[in-house]
Amino acid sequence: MSLRHLRAIVRKEVQHIMRDRATLILVLVTPTAMLFLMAFALAVDIKHVPIAVLDYDRTPTSRSLIRRVTEGNDLDLYTEVGSLDEVNRLLVGGDVKAAMVIGAAFEDDLMSLRGMPLQVVIDGTEPKTGGFVVERVGGQAEAFVGEVLARQIQVHGVSLDSLQPIDLRVRALYNPALKPRVDMVPGLISMVLGFPALSVALTLAHEREHGTLEQVLVTPVGRVEFLLGKMIPYVIVGLVNVIVIPMVARATFHIPFNGSFPLFFLLSALFLFAILGVGMVVGVFTRTQPAALALSFLVIFFPGFFLTGIFFPIVSMPEVMRVESLGMPGTHYAVITRGLFLTGVGLDVLWPYAIMLVGLCVGFTAIAVFFFRKKLG
Amino acid sequence: MADTVPIIETHALTRDFKATRAVDSLELSIWPGELFGLVGPDGAGKTTTLRLLAGLLDITSGGAELAGYDLARQAEKIKRKIGYMAQRFSLYSELSVVENLSFFAELYDVDPSVLQERTEQLLAFADLTEFRSRRAAHLSGGMQKKLALACTLIHRPQILLLDEPTTGVDPVSRREFWDILGNLHLEGTTIVVSTPYMDEADRCSRVGLMYEGRMIVCADPQSIRAQIQGELIELHTEDWQMASAFVETLPGVLEVQIYGESLHVFVDSADERLPAIEAAFRDQGLVLREARRATARMEEAFISLVTRLDTARRLEKET
Repeated sequence: MSLRHLRAIVRKEVQHIMRDRATLILVLVTPTAMLFLMAFALAVDIKHVPIAVLDYDRTPTSRSLIRRVTEGNDLDLYTEVGSLDEVNRLLVGGDVKAAMVIGAAFEDDLMSLRGMPLQVVIDGTEPKTGGFVVERVGGQAEAFVGEVLARQIQVHGVSLDSLQPIDLRVRALYNPALKPRVDMVPGLISMVLGFPALSVALTLAHEREHGTLEQVLVTPVGRVEFLLGKMIPYVIVGLVNVIVIPMVARATFHIPFNGSFPLFFLLSALFLFAILGVGMVVGVFTRTQPAALALSFLVIFFPGFFLTGIFFPIVSMPEVMRVESLGMPGTHYAVITRGLFLTGVGLDVLWPYAIMLVGLCVGFTAIAVFFFRKKLG
Repeated sequence: MADTVPIIETHALTRDFKATRAVDSLELSIWPGELFGLVGPDGAGKTTTLRLLAGLLDITSGGAELAGYDLARQAEKIKRKIGYMAQRFSLYSELSVVENLSFFAELYDVDPSVLQERTEQLLAFADLTEFRSRRAAHLSGGMQKKLALACTLIHRPQILLLDEPTTGVDPVSRREFWDILGNLHLEGTTIVVSTPYMDEADRCSRVGLMYEGRMIVCADPQSIRAQIQGELIELHTEDWQMASAFVETLPGVLEVQIYGESLHVFVDSADERLPAIEAAFRDQGLVLREARRATARMEEAFISLVTRLDTARRLEKET
């Protein structure tokens, strides 16, 4: 391999990236922009859900339950209604997402320990929001009932502790508040950093379409020199993103970074090489830019989304897909980003994933070089 | 032709594209220092031939040797000996003139100690010195062609393969380009150039006419012109359509070619037929502005040969 040839190709490709505004934006700005877009779109906290209340009881107890349920940031009292028909109308119109119905004998039944008639009406077309309302109303009602009963019992001189046989307290490590973006953003980072792979996939087809490939193929440049020379500049630009994105994640989404940054940088470089290798394989097997674009979505982005365990746990996939996910650089890198951002582990834990990335780097680059021929047509 | 060994030699060189045979059993010997012109109608296989020789396409069957190396097995060695210029502009348009030159210099391993001097030489030679920092995209068509030629010359190749280097270039730039080729020819570089322009073919030391993938005629321009049957008479008329239909029916007329308003008529003997044609036009009441003897050029020879081949082809298909 001639270093002089490699350097010439790298320099030419850097000049191309710097002078072609579309490419520059694609490789430098898109990853951060996509991180914002996806983090906001995919991990929305459910808050201030408007609900209607239908209170058949109208007693001080039912009034305090309504206050209790709607006092926080979770559920907002949109309006009180007089009939189920009105509930239906509000649900259809989208004014409320759910309704709480308090039965006529609520206070009586509660005080006489006959259970309590409480109903939650939800919109089945939005099961996620509905589930959230059920969980909140249930939780608040349970606590409310507990307090009411406790007061009744204390009057009779019984100790409170003896009435609570199970006291379950969940402690979420590494993400104590269970904020949804905290677990998702490190995974998303592994996805968005792969975006420059698209430019790499297009670069061969671009040269083919512009005729420049023809002029390069008649020179004595080696295949390894040519393909590596095209990948290296995108690794370098990708590493700029590797520095910027954790800062953006910390500043906007309050994502902690608990691991070693040099280790993150090193493993990110490995990941970039591997994912750009996939891009190069796509480039070698396609002739036109539209074809390269389509194939990139099929082999880089869709699997990157569905198979790397960022959104769907790998353990619950069928065997074939689990094996396939091992071939995706993102699968291993997502574990690495979560580990370094959240749990703060080191190479002693992450080494198997690092080795997989090395293997994929070598594997994909070798496939690209093997199938790239210095011929037209 | 002092050397006894051809610098380019093909043996039954063949290349198929799916159902079509683009180059069909090509036998070609080009000697060191020749300026060889490749002509033929579109789709005759000129570009495919040049791409095969440049190692850009796989050979279907047959073979070739360039500069003593086997094309199928030693293509990478051949690449250091040849300069190839594609028909389309194929340099990096975001790079400047000098950046393009040095990019190709590095890929061809040009000795860094001579690079500076050679760059200046080529810039002067291509008349691009004052545009050295301009991006290739912003050069005129003629300048782009000259830059492309300079890039293919950066490693001093023994053989130059040029695919229609002057197509789409204005006449002045075309002349300049051919003056440069003339100088290279004088310096002893072997040049194979394809061209659709017959005046350019006339400037070559030898011309090969390709037709449907085969080399039909391969000779120096004089010999090719000599292949035309009969002698040429040029007629300027008022109504060329009626005149051409009429002149074809006259005795002794072998072939009529139409060039805009004028008719080029090949006859068995010009001395004998010229007065007869003038008389026939008068009798018919057709206006004849001018009628004179002319010398056949490459263009007439080319059209005559291709027309004959087309006719033979048609007859062959009919039977």
